[in-house]
Amino acid sequence: MTVPTDQHKEPKQDVTFRIFRFNPQVDSKSYFDDYTIPVERGITVLRSLNYIKEHFDASISFRAFCQAGICGSCGMRINGLSQLACTTQVWDVLAKSREPGIIKVEPLRNLPLVKDLIVDMDPLVDKMRHYSNWIDSTMPEAGMGKKEFLISEEEFLRYDKATDCILCASCVSECSILRANKEYVSPAVLLKSYRMNVDSRDAIHGQRLAELVKDHGVWDCTHCYRCQEACVKSIPIMDAIHGIREDAIESRGMKDTSGSKHAEAFMSDIEKKGKLVEATLPIRTNGVVWTLRNLLPMAVKMIMKRRTPPPPPLVKSAKGIKVFREMFREMTEHVKQDHKSHKK
Amino acid sequence: MKRYAYYLSCINESMTKEVDRSLELWQKDLGIELVKLHEGTCCGGSNLDYVSPKHFALVNARNIALAEKMGLDLIVSCNTCLMTIRSAKKKLDETPALKKEVNELLKREGLEYHGTTEVRHLLWVLTDDVGLDVISKKVKVPLNNYRIAPFYGCHILRPSSVLGHDNPRDPSSLDQLVEALGGKTIPYKHKNRCCGFHTLLVAEQESLNVAAEALQEAIEAKADFIVTPCPLCHTSLDGYQSKALKQAGIERSIPVYHISEMVGLALGYSAKELGIKRHIVS
Repeated sequence: MTVPTDQHKEPKQDVTFRIFRFNPQVDSKSYFDDYTIPVERGITVLRSLNYIKEHFDASISFRAFCQAGICGSCGMRINGLSQLACTTQVWDVLAKSREPGIIKVEPLRNLPLVKDLIVDMDPLVDKMRHYSNWIDSTMPEAGMGKKEFLISEEEFLRYDKATDCILCASCVSECSILRANKEYVSPAVLLKSYRMNVDSRDAIHGQRLAELVKDHGVWDCTHCYRCQEACVKSIPIMDAIHGIREDAIESRGMKDTSGSKHAEAFMSDIEKKGKLVEATLPIRTNGVVWTLRNLLPMAVKMIMKRRTPPPPPLVKSAKGIKVFREMFREMTEHVKQDHKSHKK
Repeated sequence: MKRYAYYLSCINESMTKEVDRSLELWQKDLGIELVKLHEGTCCGGSNLDYVSPKHFALVNARNIALAEKMGLDLIVSCNTCLMTIRSAKKKLDETPALKKEVNELLKREGLEYHGTTEVRHLLWVLTDDVGLDVISKKVKVPLNNYRIAPFYGCHILRPSSVLGHDNPRDPSSLDQLVEALGGKTIPYKHKNRCCGFHTLLVAEQESLNVAAEALQEAIEAKADFIVTPCPLCHTSLDGYQSKALKQAGIERSIPVYHISEMVGLALGYSAKELGIKRHIVS
């Protein structure tokens, strides 16, 4: 029999927080400081950081506000993964820590560093501005405030999840393409753009979309799903990115950009042969000149290794292609019907 | 002998023929038989899903239904085909109206999609069905002289809501396979990162940067080779390697093997038999 006690005590464990430090005013390069504190189960990384700041080193800088996973201020990399410090439990992180008893805390990636765990969010805000991440209302100024601007539930469900974004920039920090080029639009901005573009109250859909299909825009996403996997609100960000692409193909056509031409090749090859005709994919995506200039040296090496994809006539169609093609084309009719009834 | 329906990936039929060639060599040694699905079509390569979600559902419902008709699980050896077909399956299983619409069309071919067949990666068949113990026992030429960088690629890990086999933050199945073959994996931060393949034709510089980073870490860690379960990652890391490393100003190089080749080497087949000589980087 257990004896009831007045005080419920959680077990404690010594945890070392290895915190990234860099103050551009005094440091020539970054370093890590270790702080070991006893931590009970149920304590978050943010509470631990506050404790360290209060009791050990007041010079550690980090951003935090709501402490409840709502404001999105305390995004940082905890043991390598971008997440919110306020909703991340120390003991959970510890259980998966490669170095026992140690939690490494670093600033988000892909944004300029300000100091310690603080990054500059301005480049992200600038991109949101560039891609018009707001609603420009279709309602005339005179009508505003006089009647409700209703949307259907069906429409709302299309962007319900996207509105959960709190701009914590965890997805930005994890993005593979942004890591390779800081000009890239970034997943959070694509998500917001999608959310605005599917809103029927918005008047600048076409203008926003025209910007999104340009260089460093929606077609540069490499489908790595790191953004979606890191999202602290479990938003299916790739669905939004695919949504913009689907919209781009529908409203701007399939010959619009190299990205859409590349995507279209899959559709037409599957219809014709059931198989992708890889040999001509670069030409169909980027034209002959680009292909010769960019891929010729590699093509020579591939020929020598007998690694070149077969020319189109030698790509064997999938077995039973005739019936398959009929089904495929009938589905095309279904899609046309869907679009018609959607427009009504 | 456990039988599986084997999905023919477009890239393995054209640029990376060595994958299926090496699998043919050793599948019976490990007690598995991969029955080629010649009627199968391109999965859409992570593109058809947004070009036309309904065609995407139809094409992959058919791919799965072909395996269901044979009463076999569908085995895939390309990460993107795996993710794509599994995504379609999830969508079909969650959307009865779509499943019904697709099945109406599939009737023409005497097919019906039920959703009963599992869609799995070859790597999972090796670790879960054949078993690491059995594989260890079959090894003739242990890989104990090699330091190996395991590159998982994206679409065998993410989105985890569709894949769900390995922990996407710290995957281990490929590491375990390497160890079962007597090899040693290096700690490799890029193991769960991207190879850049899907934008090679659209954002080439960015893609090459992505590939170069993964190659650089393996080179600097003095790995003997990189191994990957995905022929698309292989194409990016092997085929585009010299271009990627040149752009990054790195002069060294590193071979990249498919898992089917690595298993074949440990089972005693030669590099020539396995098609390793076809790689761009040797």
